[in-house]
Amino acid sequence: MTAALIAILSMTVLGLPITLAVDRRARGPLLVGASFLYGSGAIFLILLAVSVVKLRWTLPEVTLAALAVFCAASILAKQPATGKPQPAARAHVFDVVTLFALTGYALYATLASLWEWDFWAIWGLKARVFLEEGGIDWRFLGSRWNTFAHTDYPLLVPLNFDFVALLNGSWSDRWLGLLCVAWGVGAVLIARGLAARETSPFFASLLGLALASRAVSTFIGLAEGALIAFGGAAVLFVRTALRDDDDAAAWRHGALMLGFAANCKNEGLALLVAVTIAVAAVSWFRVGETSRWRRLATATKLWPAYALAAPWLILRFTHVLPTDIAGGSPFSRLVARLPHVHEILGFLITRLHDPWFWLVILAGILIAPAAARRGERFVFLVTLIQLLFYVVAYLATPNDLHWHVMTSWSRLTAQAALPIAFVVFLMLANSLRGSQDAPHAQARPDQ
Amino acid sequence: MLRRALLLIALLALLVVCIKPRMLQILFVDREAAAREMNGSPDRLWPLYPRFLEGVRAHTQPGDTIAIIAPGMAWDSGYSYAYYRASYFLTGREVLPLVTPENEKLPQNFRAARYIAAFEMTVRMPAEIVWQGEGGTLLRPVWGAVPPAGRPNPAGGNASPLHPEAQR
Repeated sequence: MTAALIAILSMTVLGLPITLAVDRRARGPLLVGASFLYGSGAIFLILLAVSVVKLRWTLPEVTLAALAVFCAASILAKQPATGKPQPAARAHVFDVVTLFALTGYALYATLASLWEWDFWAIWGLKARVFLEEGGIDWRFLGSRWNTFAHTDYPLLVPLNFDFVALLNGSWSDRWLGLLCVAWGVGAVLIARGLAARETSPFFASLLGLALASRAVSTFIGLAEGALIAFGGAAVLFVRTALRDDDDAAAWRHGALMLGFAANCKNEGLALLVAVTIAVAAVSWFRVGETSRWRRLATATKLWPAYALAAPWLILRFTHVLPTDIAGGSPFSRLVARLPHVHEILGFLITRLHDPWFWLVILAGILIAPAAARRGERFVFLVTLIQLLFYVVAYLATPNDLHWHVMTSWSRLTAQAALPIAFVVFLMLANSLRGSQDAPHAQARPDQ
Repeated sequence: MLRRALLLIALLALLVVCIKPRMLQILFVDREAAAREMNGSPDRLWPLYPRFLEGVRAHTQPGDTIAIIAPGMAWDSGYSYAYYRASYFLTGREVLPLVTPENEKLPQNFRAARYIAAFEMTVRMPAEIVWQGEGGTLLRPVWGAVPPAGRPNPAGGNASPLHPEAQR
């Protein structure tokens, strides 16, 4: 347990100057949550880079590289803050209940050695193989006998597990669940910090409590937890950037988080495309003095996300790592299943995990005032595009469609839940407070 | 007034459906019993199998190739579990499957393996027994040796490596 705790603490400390370099105004829960997520992403990049230059992973080597990143980020973080000052979130008694819920999750995630099939057949397996190799084992990834481990999947999560193992001195899957807890807590802290800018401490703390269950994954040891955290934070930051007059720091946060999400799972890559399309669409239809084409160029602010996604994409292309969904002829499979799309959609609806959650989300969207709905078009669009991508993936799957849906649909819908729950909650809460858009609302007393 | 009531109901409903009671229940359940169940959950089918694989790991070296023989030898009837689980416990070695997901046999992997790890199966072939225990046997095949009387060499010709030599 000590190694996992030290790893989480070191990642947070490493991420602190990175967060401040991205956004000098970051405070409170947002600063802590973003610091852990950036630290986790930075450790992945360090281990990836060390492996690419064909050096064997050792703890002193990784520590030196992390120190270099820490120093560089500290220098960058010294620049003066720009933009509107952001007040830190004020605590509320409901935050204690959130802490209680997250403690429950931590107990669940650390009940035993990681038990999920996908942990020991995919994420944990790769981490363990790489640890013994002292770097990414391209021979293992290239072997046709190992395609079951989804060798094309990005490596942020396995390399984070390896960092814990390096600190531990050997492989142990007993306490790796703590990383899942840290990713979830990071996402909750960011959401709580962002909510505090838009609503009262009471509603912000209630939202934190609601998201404590939606920002964490019950699939312990898989990449779902990291993807929900990075992806959810990315969508929320880009939303903030679009709302707050193109807040440059929020763009940087959004793009970097999105890039790390793309390094968690292939669905993170799909999210990157979905966010780019949604940003372009929202910017295109935005009222403004500049030309539509100039507004469309807003999407280029996401370039850091593509820069972060590129290394793994290039590596997996050069090592010819196959993607199962692209195997054979995906287009012909898609065309063949298109006539049955209504049956497939019906099956997806009957197999929807947490149907009450999605029903309440839909009702909330319909009940909220039209002006509030218009303000949240970006998140609605991202969620819709994500769901559309999932449906297309099912149509093109080389696997048995029913089996594929049964084994993945609940995980996929959970990936999209955090941002939509955040915005629907805020729409309803702020409408109740008699204000649809209340920046820095916590400066005012509760109703 | 009605709209306000609807907003309030929707907000409360969202709060309720967002919270997963399991996250709070875990604080009050017998966690030791839950941990025991979780620890055993991946290997419910064959509880001894992880310990057998640990034994195989202890008796082989990194870089060795190991083929897995397990009861059933059909992908969806346990072989996928046996193969994936072995891959996790035997990292550093190359674990070779003897059956594809379509249940086609892979005799070339049988021949290519330096070791045969047979769990809850008896394998009759010319081989040195490297280690026995935890419900299984680790064998090093002796290719070219005469097989036991009346038994064909499993690697010879089109003979299946698993039948009839490998029997539960």
